[in-house]
Amino acid sequence: MVEVRDLKKKYGDKQAVDGISFDVKKGEIFGILGPNGAGKTTTLEMMETLRPIDGGTSLINGIDVAKNPEAIKKIIGIQPQSPAFQDKTKLTEVIELFAAAYGEKVNVMEFLDSVGLTEKANNYVEDLSGGQKQRLSITTALVHSPKVFFLDEPTTGLDPQARRNLWELIEHVRDRGITVIMTTHYMDEAEILCDRIAIMDNGKIVAIDTPKNLIKQLLARGFKKKQVVEQANLEDVFIDLTGKDLRES
Amino acid sequence: MRRSLYTVLTFTKINTKRFFRDRLAIFFSIGFPLIFLFVFGSINNGGGDVSFSIALINHSDSSFAREFSDQIRSSEVFKVDSDIETLDAAKEKMSRSELDAVIVLPDDFGDVKQGDTYPSGKAEVVYTQNNEQSGRALESILEAQFQGINSQFVQAAMPFTVEGNKLNERSLSGFDYTFAGLLGFAIIGMGIFGPINVFPELKKMGILRRLSTTPLKVWQYFLSTMISQALIGLISLAVMFIVAILIFDLHVVGNWLELVIFLVVSIIMILGIGLALGGWAKNERQVAPLANIIVFPMMFLSGTFFPRFLMPEWLQQISAFLPLTPVIDGIRLIATEGKTLIDIAPQLGMIGAWMVVIYLIAFKVFRWE
Repeated sequence: MVEVRDLKKKYGDKQAVDGISFDVKKGEIFGILGPNGAGKTTTLEMMETLRPIDGGTSLINGIDVAKNPEAIKKIIGIQPQSPAFQDKTKLTEVIELFAAAYGEKVNVMEFLDSVGLTEKANNYVEDLSGGQKQRLSITTALVHSPKVFFLDEPTTGLDPQARRNLWELIEHVRDRGITVIMTTHYMDEAEILCDRIAIMDNGKIVAIDTPKNLIKQLLARGFKKKQVVEQANLEDVFIDLTGKDLRES
Repeated sequence: MRRSLYTVLTFTKINTKRFFRDRLAIFFSIGFPLIFLFVFGSINNGGGDVSFSIALINHSDSSFAREFSDQIRSSEVFKVDSDIETLDAAKEKMSRSELDAVIVLPDDFGDVKQGDTYPSGKAEVVYTQNNEQSGRALESILEAQFQGINSQFVQAAMPFTVEGNKLNERSLSGFDYTFAGLLGFAIIGMGIFGPINVFPELKKMGILRRLSTTPLKVWQYFLSTMISQALIGLISLAVMFIVAILIFDLHVVGNWLELVIFLVVSIIMILGIGLALGGWAKNERQVAPLANIIVFPMMFLSGTFFPRFLMPEWLQQISAFLPLTPVIDGIRLIATEGKTLIDIAPQLGMIGAWMVVIYLIAFKVFRWE
């Protein structure tokens, strides 16, 4: 579905993305991990037509991003890092607007329902919590049934309940056959959600595989954690005490 | 094509709805120009009639002097300040230009002198150097009045006389000029200050960037903004017309449909300036100085707050080429002079030329982020 070959981007003297290549299969959740400034967001933005490509190619469904950005726009959906909407707009109108941007008319309630925002349909966007905005943003990115869905750090700043809820939503999107490409800073998120991950550092991909294989390879190199791994962590405690129910609305 | 239009209309519909939910936006588009209308309308009310603020100091107790003072007080030409009784008080007010002149009737004014059968006297008109014009005008008004009175007492042949003839036609009042200017001011407020406040904000929040990842085209976005702004603008201007007609006695003699067409074209042209500035700017700080450089000359030179004919000739010639000038002239020509769109072809031509230039620039410099 997605083929990236030798992709390059330079900002001034800094080679932000330094000739990376990877493939993403249809219906896969592909994670891009890396410290700040590793080039994750730049890579995503080049694939999304938002930033000119300096070198290399990015093909989505066989279409070259650099050569035919307009055709790419029709088959990708994008979730920005911090979704924002114009205030005094109702949720139903937000969906209507985004569908209209693709020249389409959709069943608005169906889309709100798919992200659990039916009750908020007639509220203004400024009344939504951070997690609800993320969910609204996800559904606006899917109004035109894209083939590939990009998410940039979707769970940053959300509480554990909202994160888990978002993971479920992302899995649902994958189950509909949509290819998902996302960046994240959270290792647990990558481990649970992603079918395969690429780890970037200094504009290069340093490893690419399934989370399980990457861990196996590390252990095979003789790595041992200093502490014995416990069977539960603090987040498990937190969720056990506060429950999985979403805390909004 | 039909899909493209659906996109434009949906954006137009929702943007217009959003406007009416935003009280602040309503205030700035409709309330703010109305405040200016009330302020400038009140200043100009009275329709350019000449009237003198004077003080009348009567030292005489003759019946003629009393009658004469009453006549002056009831005259429409004079606004008599009845608080002033001494010349010193009057002088002080004149020094602050609150009075144009003082009429002093000496104590023997209107007395019948020995040997005469009729009253006589000499009224004095006192004025300062700065008020020479009003003073002289007042002198001749009084002189004319005395001539009338004199002829009643002393029969004399008057070989030459003059007769004033009031034409039935209305000329433009001060308010007619002011009102066209205020409409221009309102159009600038909506068309320029609207987009330059909104666009940088949308860019900062990444809203335009998000839209740029959809197939939405710049022209679709501009067109939807134009339609909803033209709609909102017409409502705002309609409110101004209603207030001006009901309260300030504005007479619209032109064709309303032609006026609406002209206003829509004008709003869209001026909106282009806002779209160009707001579309280009990355943030508010970048756009504010540039907007001021463009808006202020138009504000002062295009006839917004005072008519252009008061300017020196060379300045009138330059200011004729500002984009707002044909807008204000055209509104006045249609609304108060009853001209048709064909009559004002020069103004329409200039607006059209500016529209092409402005929108070429606006499309060229637009940035989604």
